[in-house]
Amino acid sequence: MLIRRSEARAARQRLSEAYRGLSAGGLGRRGFLRQAGLGAAGLAALGSLAPGRAEAAGAMGVIDHAQPVQRIKNLCTHCSVGCTVIAEVQNGVWVGQEPAWESPINRGTHCAKGAAVRELVSGERRLKYPMKLVDGEWRRLSWDQAIEEIGAGLLRIREQSGPDAVFWLGSAKFSNEGAYLFRKMAAFWGTNSADHQARICHSTTVAGVANTWGYGAQTNSYNDIRNSRTIIIIGGNPAEAHPVSMQHVLAGRELNRANLIVFDPRFTRTAAHATEYVRIRPGTDIPIAWGLLWHVFRNGWEDKEFIRSRVYGMEEVRKEVERWTPQEVERVTGVPPAQMERVARLLATEKPATVVWCMGATQKTVGTANVRALCALLLATGNIGAEGTGANIFRGHCNVQGATDAGLDVVTLPYYYGLDENAWRHWCRVWEVDYDWMLSRFASKKLMETPGIPTTRWFDATLLPPDQIEQPSPLKAMMVFGHGGNTVTRMPDMVKGLEALEMLVVADPHPTTYAQVAPRRNNTWLLPICTQFETSGSRTASNRSLQWGERIVAPIFESKDDYEVLYLLARRLGFAEPMFKNIRVENNHPSPEDILREINRGSLSTGYSGQSPERLKLHMANQQHFDLVTLRGKEGTPVAGDYYGLPWPCWGTPEMKHPGSHILYNTNLHVKEGGGTFRARFGVERNGETLLAEGSFSKGSEIQDGYPEFTVALLKRLGWYEELTEHEREVIRRIGGENEDRVSWSTDLSFGIIRVAMEHGCVPYGNAKARALAWNLPDPVPVHREPIYTPRTDLLPPRDLMAVGGGTATPPPGTYPALPDRRGFRLPVEYQSRQLRSFDVARDYPIILTSGRLVEYEGGGEETRSNKWLAELQQDMFVEINPADAQARGIRDGQWVQVRGPEMPEGRWVRVKALVTERVGRGVAFMPFHFGGWFMGEDRRRFYPPGTDPIVLGESVNAVTTYGYDPVTGMQETKVTLCQIRAA
Amino acid sequence: MIALPWRPAALGLLLLVLPLAAPAQPVHPAQDGPPALTARGPDASELELQRALQGGRIEGRVTIPDRQAASLVQPAGRDWRVFHNRTLVWIGGIAILGMLAILAAFYLIRGRIRPSSGLSGRTVLRFNLLERANHWMVAASFIVLALSGLNLTFGRHLLLPVIGPEAFATLSLWGKIAHNFLAFPFTLGIVVMLLLWVRDNLPNRTDWAWVRAGGGFLGGAHPAAGRFNAGQKLVFWITILGGALVAASGYMLMFPFAVTDVAGMQLSHIVHGVLAMLMIAAMLAHIYIGSLGMEGAFSAMSNGRVDYNWAKEHHSLWLEEEVARAGEAAGAPRSAKAAGAD
Amino acid sequence: MARMKFLCDAERCIECNACVTACKNEHQVPWGINRRRVVTLNDGRPGERSISMACMHCTDAPCAAVCPVACFYTTADHVVLHDKDLCIGCGYCFYACPFGAPQYPRVGNFGGRGKMDKCTYCAGGPQQDNSHAEYLQYGSNRLAEGKLPLCAEMCSTKALLAGDGEIIATIYRERVQQRGYGSGAWGWRTAYKEVPQV
Repeated sequence: MLIRRSEARAARQRLSEAYRGLSAGGLGRRGFLRQAGLGAAGLAALGSLAPGRAEAAGAMGVIDHAQPVQRIKNLCTHCSVGCTVIAEVQNGVWVGQEPAWESPINRGTHCAKGAAVRELVSGERRLKYPMKLVDGEWRRLSWDQAIEEIGAGLLRIREQSGPDAVFWLGSAKFSNEGAYLFRKMAAFWGTNSADHQARICHSTTVAGVANTWGYGAQTNSYNDIRNSRTIIIIGGNPAEAHPVSMQHVLAGRELNRANLIVFDPRFTRTAAHATEYVRIRPGTDIPIAWGLLWHVFRNGWEDKEFIRSRVYGMEEVRKEVERWTPQEVERVTGVPPAQMERVARLLATEKPATVVWCMGATQKTVGTANVRALCALLLATGNIGAEGTGANIFRGHCNVQGATDAGLDVVTLPYYYGLDENAWRHWCRVWEVDYDWMLSRFASKKLMETPGIPTTRWFDATLLPPDQIEQPSPLKAMMVFGHGGNTVTRMPDMVKGLEALEMLVVADPHPTTYAQVAPRRNNTWLLPICTQFETSGSRTASNRSLQWGERIVAPIFESKDDYEVLYLLARRLGFAEPMFKNIRVENNHPSPEDILREINRGSLSTGYSGQSPERLKLHMANQQHFDLVTLRGKEGTPVAGDYYGLPWPCWGTPEMKHPGSHILYNTNLHVKEGGGTFRARFGVERNGETLLAEGSFSKGSEIQDGYPEFTVALLKRLGWYEELTEHEREVIRRIGGENEDRVSWSTDLSFGIIRVAMEHGCVPYGNAKARALAWNLPDPVPVHREPIYTPRTDLLPPRDLMAVGGGTATPPPGTYPALPDRRGFRLPVEYQSRQLRSFDVARDYPIILTSGRLVEYEGGGEETRSNKWLAELQQDMFVEINPADAQARGIRDGQWVQVRGPEMPEGRWVRVKALVTERVGRGVAFMPFHFGGWFMGEDRRRFYPPGTDPIVLGESVNAVTTYGYDPVTGMQETKVTLCQIRAA
Repeated sequence: MIALPWRPAALGLLLLVLPLAAPAQPVHPAQDGPPALTARGPDASELELQRALQGGRIEGRVTIPDRQAASLVQPAGRDWRVFHNRTLVWIGGIAILGMLAILAAFYLIRGRIRPSSGLSGRTVLRFNLLERANHWMVAASFIVLALSGLNLTFGRHLLLPVIGPEAFATLSLWGKIAHNFLAFPFTLGIVVMLLLWVRDNLPNRTDWAWVRAGGGFLGGAHPAAGRFNAGQKLVFWITILGGALVAASGYMLMFPFAVTDVAGMQLSHIVHGVLAMLMIAAMLAHIYIGSLGMEGAFSAMSNGRVDYNWAKEHHSLWLEEEVARAGEAAGAPRSAKAAGAD
Repeated sequence: MARMKFLCDAERCIECNACVTACKNEHQVPWGINRRRVVTLNDGRPGERSISMACMHCTDAPCAAVCPVACFYTTADHVVLHDKDLCIGCGYCFYACPFGAPQYPRVGNFGGRGKMDKCTYCAGGPQQDNSHAEYLQYGSNRLAEGKLPLCAEMCSTKALLAGDGEIIATIYRERVQQRGYGSGAWGWRTAYKEVPQV
């Protein structure tokens, strides 16, 4: 049947002609086939008995081309790139997914997860109705009953142990509105122990970056990477974790012939596309940063003018960098000097350059210090605050940025106001509740202003002796919304913590690991929550753009959205009325638009104030009018001048029409056009040295030098106070009372201060220097510290030095111990006293274990492992092991092996498949973190409620991972520990 | 029995074909071959060309458990295509048509072979019920297997234009199902056949004489033979060995990729196809001589008895043994009966 | 008429498998059937490249040539399709296909194959365009709607190109000229007996 292109038509004709003698002729293909042949009808009937077709249309809808199709835009619920999803809907059923060509972020494309999201709402394996455990059996119950039981249980625990005995674990899968509502819920309940996945992904980024230049977020955008000439990716694997971002990275690489340099212990899929791949020993990011800076300073490649005018404390960095000679860097990291010099030269001379990092940098005991070292790298080379530069931090979940901003965090109220009395008073004003009433919700004013317990340590707060926990009672109950249980390290301890809880509530589309991993028999409830495709709301992508997702279908089965469940709970707990005072609730459904409007009113500090639901919806409807690279709305369109998704800060009220800020700290633009400066957040001077910018200011600024953040006092000094309207002054007076002068741009609910500052071209938050030296952190200038479990005990001080009183603060030269032991987040934190174990452990556990993402799965993986289209692609949990290590252990590719970490219970191993590959270097093993359902050799499938077990189960890497926490944020150590591997 | 004049040629063809399917070792691009790997990785076009010339595959890693999916390009498919569409058609065509031609010629020249001394009317039991039942089980399944198999090679050209695509597809589908199922009785029959008849089919000195005498087909005198003459032994061993190989390769095809990869599947198909064609040709001769070609032969497999004179001419040694055994056990009714007294 | 082809730019492909799940989603392809897959060569070593592979819709398609029931046909856009009503699941097309495209559901006895399934270039089957019957047997027919295969449309890095051969070859050529390198169009020499000139 050789048919050439030009003859295709004719050839098919010939095919039919060949059979014409046997048919009536002139029929369509089906017609002549039906009539052809001897006794065809009879034979055909037999034929239908034969093995059937490949396709079986399941419960999922099938498009009917005769009927009209509705196209609805929502957003992918997986990573933080923010890909628009276009759903085709017929009769309330999601029947097809189409490329969203208009979106400037994904331009029609998806990764494996995004291209498979439709499966989530057919949800064969979803949790279908509320359930609870009764003597180890899962029982169905009604929503009313579930809310009643949970509410009564919570109130009983509050009565007995106080509000801090309940841990509220939220989710980066919430919409902004859901995250905000959840944080508000915790506040109304009376605790600060409300956390979410940011703790375990980029909390150290937020802390490190915010402490450097003001805000904890990606400074530029995915799209802006198209402008870069040098792209350094360290501790990140966007090809698997953020595939759609690679569209911009690779395009940038191609268009500019840019250098793409990947630092990683693994030769990742990203590294495969790099112009230079640098293999490092896990846990040596700071030596890498300082090693690069050593060459920069040595050769005078630093941006001296930038440092002079916009950076504080670079001299201190320079002193630390001097220790990191190429030889020392090679000794510690394993990277040859010539390669370091080559990369340093590119970074400093082939500009603009950007540094991209992910959890390889952040999920460390030195996460915050890592981040700050990378910031210093950018500051020293002047690669920040302009197109093609910046800290392009790729966040993890679809709304982890937004949920972080919304204060779903143990250290702050929404939008980074902190926890002090001013912050509480600000939010009480926004919520229109009395501050004293709010105070009465808490156990004490001290606890009201003390950071809560982070998700990485909640089980310690359940298990440790009460005298070691700085609150009236250990944790007794846990409310988990949209969070996997296998995402925290030290799972064997976590399981004990779960067992000890009096009450556990899991609200999620899937039961999650929490539902089955512990031997609980009672007092465990599962609430079916719908996905974000079954509700509406805004989400903030990594680049700070907000996008509005429209409900595609109604919640399936008996599931409800977060808003409704939080409302029902608040009602049962008795504070729905004050909590939803300004939010319209219809039929138990709070309006997400109203929630966003409340956010707009209160979030002045972060510039979440201009993104009204109307503006966001306008952007979604006009996606095609935004420029691919600048993200700016084109002239003559309804969104002219706006940046796509109004990336925060979007100053002032929606009516002020601020376009959002595509690139943070960009002095080349007027503040009204999205320009900015480094934030004046840490005072105006220190030790006689100014902290304000010197001679640097954003375009059009009337103050042509540094200035502090705007307050009424500053306005008055500048003589601009009179420009406030009477109404604005009235509001300010009401807020300030006696101390009107102290009302600042971020607490002025009239937005007058912001308005006036911007009129004069000034950035409301001031104009300061970025801090290369952050004196408030444990290591003001980052210093290298070996991981808690390190194979390089030769880089630790002598044992006895570390063994005394929690460790030494002044280690001998050439040694890099962890910090001395300390306390944080209401709990004790071990450093050197735990690190001491390395001396004993390193011999029996010779392989460094690191962990990371797979493209097919996300997070704890319950959702994606339940998606049949994704699950098929990764059917087994595995460990990547170098061929040399495999050979030494007699391990073949694909066989079962056992892996054990130093903190696992005696005799227990996890059972996984071996993937023998040169991706990992000798002495390093890698395991993905998305698996669960097996626990230390035991298949726990039977403990899921029937029909809700994910298709693919496997051991969780966190059964193997070990102790270790960042001192600033409580971030867990997932990237460096030790393990042993043996053939099973 | 007959010699197979086309056999050397067929074997030659087989030898020509086999190298094409020689197990093509998957080649990992970076491990060898300097031209394959440039600084940026292998160039697609060059690597494809190189692999095509070497008959190797371009293989990588996939995450799905289907190992076959890891092969990106397998140029050997082209050779298999040539085998299936050309070589096998020629082998089959020549073997089967050639055999039919020979048999037709033989028939025209020699006509139906009759016992020179005519039929005696006395018969002797040649095959018992088990032997006959087994023979017919093998025969019946073989015929269906052969026809359904031939259909896959020739049906598209011969039958499809006649009965039309839908009927042909249905027929072929049932043929495939029958082919799969009948493989089992066929294999069982081969095994039973081996157990029943292997003792009488071991080659011995008489066979040499039989062959030298041309089996009596050419000259006048019938050479002496035991229970099976050399020609029959040849058919037996063709059936046993060929059948075993065809069955083994067939099972490989029936359980795809259970023990082998695509190269092994192609090889299995080649072995299966070539041997099956040759067996079909051989069986045509067997059928001819057992029915139309020789008077008195068919009854051996129908009622199990053969004429005394026929036996004397074709299996004199066997008849002597049978008679002797009958004489020894003359008193025993069962033996007497077995000896074939009227 | 266009001559439809696929081209996977291995310099862009990152093995994100979007093409695989997009295909599954669009056609509701069952577990175990992989109309498209991504193969990584030199995994974990310098020179590593991933290539998304499916039916290439070959010129002089080997599957069509060896099919014992002649169930293949080629559309005006030179998409190689087959009629599942005729297919008997013999597996011959898999032996002949250079790219491992044909897939067989496991049905019936032994390792018995069901009717072959493969990439349709989102062009359905022999039934009426976009009819329910066509969807059930072959999946959707995007070509009839004026759309291209979803795998290529959704490719995260725009590595996988689909469309008229000359157009996608031009896109590829421009890319290679822009960036100064390219590792070639995988499968083209084998499938189309030509390579895009760059």
